[in-house]
Amino acid sequence: MSSFFSRIRSGGGTSSPLAGSSPAKKDPNALQITPLEKYLLDVPLGPSQDNGSDKFWGLENFGNTCYCNSILQCLYYSVPFREQVINYPKRSPLDSVTTTSTGQARIDPDAVILPPNHPSLTSAKLMKQQPVQNSARNPGGPPATPKPEDKEHPDFKKRVAQARGPTLSMDYDNAAAYGMPESLFTSLKDIFEALLAHKSNVGVVSPTKFLEVLRRENEMFRSAMHQDAHEFLNLLLNEVVANVEVHSKKLEEEKGMNGHAEKTGFEKSLASAMLKTTPSTTGWVHELFEGTLTSETKCLTCENVSQRDEAFLDLSVDLDEHSSVTACLRKFSEEEMLCERNKFHCDRCGGLQEAEKRMKIKRLPKILALHLKRFKYTEDLQRLQKLFHRVVYPYHLRLFNTTDDAEDPDRLYELYAVVVHIGGGPYHGHYISIVKTEERGWLLFDDEMVEPVDRSYVQNFFGDRPGLACAYVLFYQETTLEAVKREQDAESLAAAAKAVVEIPKEPVGLGLKTNGFMNGIQHVKSAVTPTSDEDTNGYVSLDKAVTEPPPHAQIAASSSEVTALPQMPSRTPNEETKSKKERLKEEKERKAVAKITARQEEKAERERLKNLEVKRKEVSKKADADTKAAMQASKASKAEEDHRDAAENVNKDGAAASASASVPLPTGGLGRFKSSSKSFRNSKLWGGSRDSNKDEPFAEENGAEATTPLDRSKNRFSNLRKKTSNMML
Amino acid sequence: MEIQSVLPPPPRYPITQITTSPSGQTTGQTVLEMSNVLTHPSGPEYQLSVGEGTYILQDNLHLATPPPHPQDAPIVNSNPLATTPAPPKAGIKLTICITSPRKSSPQLYRVNTSTSTRSNLGTYSIRESEKESRSSNETNSNAATTQLPSSNTSGRTPVFGEDNILLTPVAGKEGVKKKKPKTNLVKSNSQFISRVILHDSLNKRLQEHNPEGMFVFANIDRAYQWLDLSSPAPARAQPLMKILFAKAHMLCHDINSLTKGPNHIDVVMGASTGDIVWFEAYSQKYVRVNKNNIISASAVSQIRWLPGSENLFLASHMDGSLIVYDKERDDAAFIPETNGASTFTQNSFDPDLKPFHINKSVNSKNQKANPVASWKISNHRITDFGFSPDSRHLAVVSEDGSLRIINYLKEQLTDLYPSYYGAFSCVCWSPDGKYVLTGGQDDLVSIWSLAERRIVARCPGHHSWVTAVAFDPWRCDNRNYRFGSVGEDRRLLLWDFNVGMLRRPKAASIRNRASISSNVPIGRHRTESHATSRLRSTSSLDDDGVNADELVEHEVESRTVTAELPPVMSKVIDEHPLSLVGFDEECIVTACVEGHVRVWKRPQDGLSP
Repeated sequence: MSSFFSRIRSGGGTSSPLAGSSPAKKDPNALQITPLEKYLLDVPLGPSQDNGSDKFWGLENFGNTCYCNSILQCLYYSVPFREQVINYPKRSPLDSVTTTSTGQARIDPDAVILPPNHPSLTSAKLMKQQPVQNSARNPGGPPATPKPEDKEHPDFKKRVAQARGPTLSMDYDNAAAYGMPESLFTSLKDIFEALLAHKSNVGVVSPTKFLEVLRRENEMFRSAMHQDAHEFLNLLLNEVVANVEVHSKKLEEEKGMNGHAEKTGFEKSLASAMLKTTPSTTGWVHELFEGTLTSETKCLTCENVSQRDEAFLDLSVDLDEHSSVTACLRKFSEEEMLCERNKFHCDRCGGLQEAEKRMKIKRLPKILALHLKRFKYTEDLQRLQKLFHRVVYPYHLRLFNTTDDAEDPDRLYELYAVVVHIGGGPYHGHYISIVKTEERGWLLFDDEMVEPVDRSYVQNFFGDRPGLACAYVLFYQETTLEAVKREQDAESLAAAAKAVVEIPKEPVGLGLKTNGFMNGIQHVKSAVTPTSDEDTNGYVSLDKAVTEPPPHAQIAASSSEVTALPQMPSRTPNEETKSKKERLKEEKERKAVAKITARQEEKAERERLKNLEVKRKEVSKKADADTKAAMQASKASKAEEDHRDAAENVNKDGAAASASASVPLPTGGLGRFKSSSKSFRNSKLWGGSRDSNKDEPFAEENGAEATTPLDRSKNRFSNLRKKTSNMML
Repeated sequence: MEIQSVLPPPPRYPITQITTSPSGQTTGQTVLEMSNVLTHPSGPEYQLSVGEGTYILQDNLHLATPPPHPQDAPIVNSNPLATTPAPPKAGIKLTICITSPRKSSPQLYRVNTSTSTRSNLGTYSIRESEKESRSSNETNSNAATTQLPSSNTSGRTPVFGEDNILLTPVAGKEGVKKKKPKTNLVKSNSQFISRVILHDSLNKRLQEHNPEGMFVFANIDRAYQWLDLSSPAPARAQPLMKILFAKAHMLCHDINSLTKGPNHIDVVMGASTGDIVWFEAYSQKYVRVNKNNIISASAVSQIRWLPGSENLFLASHMDGSLIVYDKERDDAAFIPETNGASTFTQNSFDPDLKPFHINKSVNSKNQKANPVASWKISNHRITDFGFSPDSRHLAVVSEDGSLRIINYLKEQLTDLYPSYYGAFSCVCWSPDGKYVLTGGQDDLVSIWSLAERRIVARCPGHHSWVTAVAFDPWRCDNRNYRFGSVGEDRRLLLWDFNVGMLRRPKAASIRNRASISSNVPIGRHRTESHATSRLRSTSSLDDDGVNADELVEHEVESRTVTAELPPVMSKVIDEHPLSLVGFDEECIVTACVEGHVRVWKRPQDGLSP
């Protein structure tokens, strides 16, 4: 398996027949520049960000690994999650990314990693790839023109992205540098850190190591078959929780032994570095994704109401036809009868009784991952079927189904990522994700391809449109009305600026563009191309940039692999270009009138924009710092607590043993979370030594939970998974 | 990878036939021009039971979706991820017109009794004609001044743009014969219009038309139909006239209730391409406004005649601008008049952050050509707007999730209310102008009080986004209000609203979680006439409302303190998401995005509650 993954493919290597020759009249590079790159050139990024927010990389698909790619992209742009992955474990500055732990880490930021071209890249799309070449490696020569084909087709776009590179092959692990055994978490961290360190803003990552670990440790994902993205999300989050907890457990032990045991210098420095920076931030996955559900069960025999809290990392909601996510969530919390085979074991009457049960949200998560149960088991067919119900989702959300005592029940959420399933059934198809990035707004991530999209594009996947593409997992994150307003203001500012800047495209623009791109792709950040006179509208540009007018009909015919597809009405290209020309002409005339004023305005505008932007960033940075400080404080207090725990657990040996027997671990985050308002009471109840029970004050009522704490917590997290897994079979 | 090479590559962009698109176009080979189909299904599922009785489905008229324009042949687009933006679409909207100026309908409320309100279906303005409204002015403005601190206290409703001498009509309007557009629709060889189909016996049908009967104008896809729903059954389904546009899809339309008469109906419509058409139905003549997008290239989301104006109408464009056009004026390329043109521009120099930006004031000295006025209120799509019955205010809702109350006579934004969450999609005024209803993507209908300047109640009950709301003036009096709403969930909901009967939620019984606008004690909202929330302007509001024209940005009220109102009726009434609800004296009218227009007859046993 590992040998299979160590085979890396590069987009480059094939020298094109045209290489070295002067650019052809019809510049083929115009075909090559991706809409994203154009967008980045037109609206240059600010100074490089050290938090990774200015990286827009595709992920290579190794045959049906789109479930993984789509989720990874969503998680990467879950800002707090990315930050935590990067910051955990805390390391001293010495342990920079370039630490070669296995001798393989090759994240030299300057080096575009281009392993020898491997001929057999199996999947069909790669076979078609030869004509395009890696121009990043060969910036002088234009690549060969690919044979005319549908440039709007995703496969084509992906090949372009792949060919343009740079390609980052993640086939190594840095786990030892983190002081952790190789795990999904470490390989995820490897990917994030490599992206952060890389100079290019765009490119393609090959997450080979990550997949290798995933498949090694999870039988379910071992086959090359289509997998369920939501299953994967849940598994990944749970794994990350587990990996991090095992590690912090180990750290605590080390800390406990610190005075006694001798260590190698490296380990020691590592450990101390970690200690210095308060290592136990193990709760961060919980803090981000975890919420609490309260299930109230009312026994219909004795009227006794029992409550039970359970944690969730995501919510799986059933779908109704023509409903909204809001309605699905309401339905999720509707009363449910427990009867017949489903009877409830009532402690008071002792025995199985009919009961009414309802689940409400008691603690709202910071990131609300909503899984729309599109795959439903149908008795008649004896298999899963995909539901194409129209389920609408708003850009913002509040939860109606909260308990009366919920904290902040009106919390406002903002949609920031959507995983879309394309396909007719659960056993095949494709996943893509559409993610709102801090720097660049909404982007479409389709494996290797990254493309800017309009905001309204996000709402194209309600489920009723032709093309079988439906939203499957929705990521909402906590926000405030003020933040939303601020964003809207910024948007209108940008729009105003755009309106001022926008000047009709001239043929000259093309040359500029190509030049800009040739320099730009290598070091986009430094290449400040004169972009003011270019259209900022990224995605229309591709077809406009093409100098040879592609007759649409021809393209349609030539897209050979796409036959007999459903037809979607659209405008005739001729008319469109015509009207565009007209419009351009008019615009030119108008612009000529307003040119002088526009110039001046533009300058002032940009200045002001910049100032505003700077201000905004300062503010947000300050806010960041504040929260960080607060977190530090809480970490410190937690560290103390952990210290005590660790001292009691010194005897436990080995990572494996500690994993299976450790007492407080899985709930560290949870317990801490509650500590702000409730731990006070809890700690009195349970004391420091048994704080594993902290998070489950109601557990005792149900009696059924006499398992070890770890088991219990496992159950808890798999609880919601079960719902899905019995439907996934 | 070895495994991979053995397995066939999975279908990544699967190929399947899906026959219907949301617009109802069958993507197959329907090339035939279909005709409308009228059916009369019956049974319990076609009845609505409410307190006052049972509404029964009378007509189910399925408007035919026209085939795509020949030049507009569908292009293969197999890719569900295609990023090319699709043109905006809207469901069927109806404008209903009764030409006769009838005597007052049996309304239960006092204000505006002299006004026939039959035409307020689809249009929100109650006033039929300026004359009538003047006669009812005393009551009207009295009511208005008490409710709306910003209202002028003069007894006469001011007219938009009356201060600008350039806008006063050349001749006195009373005597002048109503102007008609120039170009004949049928004989036109414009590229814009593909085809016009007149009913064979149009003149006969028009002569036989009962002036009390209901004309309906409906848009579906690229077609625009003029229907007579009062004519006998078989012919009823067939439009008096059908216009097929080449490219433009009409998204909204309105009739001028001032100029309409037994042989004159002024219709104005806005298209997905940004085009606007003024069309006179009887003469079948038209004029294009904003031709070639000379003024705005953005699609028109809503269009309405200015109350009391023969010539002026307001269109909301999807780029977030509101533009007043004059049907008589020519267009000219529009450059925003940034400085000085308007005396009402708010003091701030920063034009972009202002929530209400005047690109051209009605008081501009340059009034030779359209637009008459142009305001930019948002960067997001405006979804709907409505004029208040007293013709002083404008309620505008937009996709940015705000309800804006604009004193359009003064060109001032006075209030900005946020949705609970998500975009707003529709808005309407209560017949007495006291309340505004909104519906949106939070699945709620919200009731806002203009006098108290706050939210009165949220109405949960829809299972999806709310697409249209309307009051039923025939079941409203000065204390009780009946309104209806429809949504994407295919449901029609009816609501009875009485301010005194509102139930407050259990409120903060558990602990004071406060409202989201945490800085203000909640109790104060109730008693004061102006909002207590954060003010954008630095000047403070006086109690007598001197500064009431200052913008007040309201906060979201917490769910725990806002009253909730349950529906009195909720029923799935169609197979498709609904796009319109309207009330008439004898019926409720609904329409869905696929072209089903349904007429629900009111209970037979009288109208008294």
